[in-house]
Amino acid sequence: MAGWNDRKTSKYVGQKVTRVDGPAKATGRAKYTFDIVLPGMLYGVMLRSPHASAKITKLDTSAAEKMPGVKAVVTIAGVNSTLRYHGQEIAAVAAVTEELAKDAVRAIVVEYEKQPHSVRTEMAAKIADRKDAQPSMIPEGEVADALKSAAATIEATYSVPIRLHTSLESHGSVCKWDGDALTTWCSTQAVHGVKEGMAANQGIAQDKSHVICEYMGGGFGSKFGPGVEGSVCATLAKKAGAPVKLMCDRAGEQLATGNGPDGFAEVKAGASADGKLTVVKANLFGTGGNSSRWGLEYPYIYHAEKRDVSMTGVRVNCGSQAALRAPMHPQACALTEMMIDELAYKLNMDPVEFRLKNQSSQLREAQFRMGAQMIGWDKRNMSPGKSKARFVRGMGVATGKWGGGGGPGSQVQVVVNSDGTVLSKVGTQDLGTGTRTYVASIVAEDLGIDIDRVKAMIGDSALGYSGGSGGSTTTASLAPAVKTAAQAARAQLFAKAAEMLSTTPDSLDARDNKVFVAADPSKSVKFTELCARLGAQPIVANGQFDGSLQQGGVAGVQFAEVEVDMWTGHVQPIKVVAVQDCGYAINRLAAESQLIGGVIQGIAMALFEGRKMDEHTGRCLNPDMENYKLPGPMEMPEIIPVIYDTHDKVAGIGEPAVIPTAGAVANAVYNASGLRIRHLPIVPKRMMEAMA
Amino acid sequence: MNSFTYVSPKDLADASKAIGPSGKLLAGGIDLLTELKEGLIQPQRIVNLKSVSGLKDIGGSGDFKIGALVTLADLAANKEVRSKYPAIAEAAESVGSPQIRNVGTVGGNLCQRPRCWYYRDAEVHCLKKGGDRCYAVEGENEYHAILGGGPCHIVHPSDLAPALIALDAQVEIFSNGKTRKMPLGEFFQLPRDNVYSENVLKDGEIVTAVTLPKAMAGWKSSYYKIKERESFDWALASAAVAMEMKGTLVTKARVVLGGVAPIPWRSQEAEKMLEGKNLSTEQALQAGVAAVANATPMSGNAYKEKLAASAVGIAALTAAGMEAK
Amino acid sequence: MADEIREETKKGLSRRQFLRGVGAAAATATVVGAVAFRPKTDEPKQGPKTDLDAIPGAVPVSLKVNGKTHQLNLEPRVTLLDALRERLQLTGAKKICDMGNCGGCTVYMDGKPIYACLKLAVDSQGHDIETIESLAPEGKMTPLQQAFVDHDALQCGFCTPGFVMSVNHLLKTNPNPTLDDVKQACCGNICRCGTYTRIFEAALAAAKARKGAF
Repeated sequence: MAGWNDRKTSKYVGQKVTRVDGPAKATGRAKYTFDIVLPGMLYGVMLRSPHASAKITKLDTSAAEKMPGVKAVVTIAGVNSTLRYHGQEIAAVAAVTEELAKDAVRAIVVEYEKQPHSVRTEMAAKIADRKDAQPSMIPEGEVADALKSAAATIEATYSVPIRLHTSLESHGSVCKWDGDALTTWCSTQAVHGVKEGMAANQGIAQDKSHVICEYMGGGFGSKFGPGVEGSVCATLAKKAGAPVKLMCDRAGEQLATGNGPDGFAEVKAGASADGKLTVVKANLFGTGGNSSRWGLEYPYIYHAEKRDVSMTGVRVNCGSQAALRAPMHPQACALTEMMIDELAYKLNMDPVEFRLKNQSSQLREAQFRMGAQMIGWDKRNMSPGKSKARFVRGMGVATGKWGGGGGPGSQVQVVVNSDGTVLSKVGTQDLGTGTRTYVASIVAEDLGIDIDRVKAMIGDSALGYSGGSGGSTTTASLAPAVKTAAQAARAQLFAKAAEMLSTTPDSLDARDNKVFVAADPSKSVKFTELCARLGAQPIVANGQFDGSLQQGGVAGVQFAEVEVDMWTGHVQPIKVVAVQDCGYAINRLAAESQLIGGVIQGIAMALFEGRKMDEHTGRCLNPDMENYKLPGPMEMPEIIPVIYDTHDKVAGIGEPAVIPTAGAVANAVYNASGLRIRHLPIVPKRMMEAMA
Repeated sequence: MNSFTYVSPKDLADASKAIGPSGKLLAGGIDLLTELKEGLIQPQRIVNLKSVSGLKDIGGSGDFKIGALVTLADLAANKEVRSKYPAIAEAAESVGSPQIRNVGTVGGNLCQRPRCWYYRDAEVHCLKKGGDRCYAVEGENEYHAILGGGPCHIVHPSDLAPALIALDAQVEIFSNGKTRKMPLGEFFQLPRDNVYSENVLKDGEIVTAVTLPKAMAGWKSSYYKIKERESFDWALASAAVAMEMKGTLVTKARVVLGGVAPIPWRSQEAEKMLEGKNLSTEQALQAGVAAVANATPMSGNAYKEKLAASAVGIAALTAAGMEAK
Repeated sequence: MADEIREETKKGLSRRQFLRGVGAAAATATVVGAVAFRPKTDEPKQGPKTDLDAIPGAVPVSLKVNGKTHQLNLEPRVTLLDALRERLQLTGAKKICDMGNCGGCTVYMDGKPIYACLKLAVDSQGHDIETIESLAPEGKMTPLQQAFVDHDALQCGFCTPGFVMSVNHLLKTNPNPTLDDVKQACCGNICRCGTYTRIFEAALAAAKARKGAF
């Protein structure tokens, strides 16, 4: 197999390509699941648990069933069911309008026997339900000795909060039955996964389960299966004998469709005078929500001579966690980088140099040097906390790693029709990363034609299999399969052209909508003329994964500059330089956009996001977009995305982009203000409390 | 949202009658729709005040009158307001987002209900909803009151009210066929006086306008709002400062805090600290400290004392045309 | 150089381990859902016959949208957003927070951006409503929309119509916006993917390209 295209000569692949679905999105024409309106369609609404922990003692839907416009009521929980969190699904209604469905939900009679709950990790961690995943391995004495002999030590607790995915399009689907065949429009990261999931939960054969997801409004790791809301939607539709749309409302979305775990690190660490991290003793804990599955890597990418880390997963009465863009890496990174930074200042050492002394990657070292130069690291605040000015500026740094890389499974088909139209077909999905665009661009490149001749057909389970989009593996898994199909189509095309040009296929090349003899471009045939010769036999070429086109393992370094208002505790991001390796960037424009998006989500983690639970009522206080705060335009710094070229194989970028930002911003806040805020998000409350 | 009928009265008397005990007044609807969607209210009738004419006027040669239906965007853009009563333009501009300011009205901003997350959760039966406790006392109270709290600890969410009170505004209320006037500062009431309503309006009464004394047009004023999220947020603490000045000498001052008490909180302590002195950065910040000297913070909101103090200092300096730094 | 990173990423929670975990979790969730949730589909429910024109309490509502007047029969509690999306199938405006916090539902009322989720349809009568569909009626993008595409100012695209509406209004009212003007104009819009800085670039580029006339 040929490798990826040479960027010096390629037109699309390896270049900056605008999205093929950009116009549909910019004009509002793109139809998302939420936008589907079918004739006779009903509206599904969910009844959710108001309690964090309760047993249902009565559940009566009879009044709801008699409400005007109600066509179906289904129960999910029953009498004696135990409810484990605020927002857990109990029942659902389908009615002719959403308003009438909501009336009916209110008419469902439920009685509860409340039970004790615990909804806050830090409290639950003290009382019960701890699961020691990784007990301490090193004798206490050794750690104590190492701490005693260290030139600098710190002892502190750091934390990052639970974050909510807050996908703008909520979880949900539209379900329509035709006999025993089900069509599901679903907002998902896994078209084929939902197809299989729906077949399983509805008890139908997979070939009767058809899933469509032309566009989806964000997932970030939380949208891999049909979910309870998906199976309930299908059942309502069956019961009502009509199509049903059931999209989670914002509160349901925030409460029950997944969240990114928190993390607490109680740390003692020490370093030698020459900047070696000699010892890290850490007690880590956090929650997976309604499960004690939790863990992260500490001290992340850094090597400690003596490392003693215990890890505890805590179960709380809250919705379960789901993968959230680079699961556990931003947490591990921030909890580590804040500690490392603190130690560097204790040692009175340049935070970049201290980091370099405790990691071994040359790639990362080069990224550190490049980023430092681009942000002007030597102009950072050399005396944090000494200024009396109202506005102070500072810089911080952090680094991350990610696996990425791809795997087999995707089945791509390229069709070249006799009218010169080209289809590139695969049952993947585009999360907003630009998948649809490279499904077209790789084919356009290898056939030497304009990208608008190629129609990328994705988002439909009737198309060839492709896996779910998670772990930044989509491009590394799928792009090689598209490339393989494109190369196969090119070979067939060249065979045809060789006949017409009386030459051999291996002497041909294709560019500018022509196939020509590489050594003598005057001998050429137009792509459309060539296609016209195909007659009743369009080219159909298939492609599968080719491992030689991808490789996992990437690193990234980010530098942040912030300005702190010492009178109000307000932190304004000024500039972020994000240096990220992603292997071969298929589309540099979309790759940069991923990097920018990662930085922005990292800023959100550093300064704004955090689910808030009320221990007394057990309820979430901010299952919304008012008090669950995401940054807006005013919070934006200048962002410099740097795609750091390493090798010529595809790796993946969506997740690595988000990892270092929060740690870098938190460290910049210290450099600016001299205030070490060890708990994210860094809101004015924490700043003012630190000044006390 | 419960189902209701929708009426468009032709005049204030009609509107007042239509509200009665079971109707709710609709102006811009920003706050009303969130209350309806959250299920906090279930009115039988929604009464559209916008069908009544004469409530959108702004201006006047004597006292400056702002109709209740003037939008926040129009108020913020009004040239006379910007030049004579800058704190009011700044306050109006600080509300919500452009989309909210294009719809939200002056009357609605003054009459909006609190943002307390316990109050806004229909499942939490708090004091304000007829329950027996304020959940913020032992709960999460970082956004709650540090002044004037108890037994309920909400903060009043209006940005406009502190600025209007600092400029000695009067509020006009249509009541029983007549219009009465009262100082806006007396319009709001503490929970200890009435836990169920943040103002003195009775069923069927309608805010029709606010008026600003002509004399205040010569004062220097500014409104400063500290938010968690600069783009779009409620005040963690805010301050409106209006001063009559001779050169740098403050002859009279009015200071009103927002976001820190169940009502817009006038601070005579801060005013005393400013009056009769030449304004300086130190003086301004000390006035802020005086404003919160009697604060009684809860478990998680002591930080607001410093924010409120800074807000007063920054607003005073900005009002005087001095750099706040 | 990348090899050492590859080695390093094998330590700790690797992507593959993680994905296996996710797969397992997702599959379990599906199965659990299927087992715990056994609706009785054998008793088809015959509710009272109610179609969209016979909803109790519905009233005639006349909406002028994108220059065209529509006669609808709606309950007074139906929001403008739901009427546009579900009854007129103008789905460019999105329902995201449904509480006036995100700007996904931005439409124009009498030329000014508003949140359609916080406006009753019945209260929108007598006003000119414009949705994003009115900007490019024939599918031909405006220069601003083209700039959004050119500058990659969109990812998932769900917030995009709202941002386009906010920026479009800015450019109509302010011929030479600064970066700060653009930010201020978008303060009522939230993007989750993180496209803000691209949107700023697109807005400024569109403003510059049109040189005053829009």
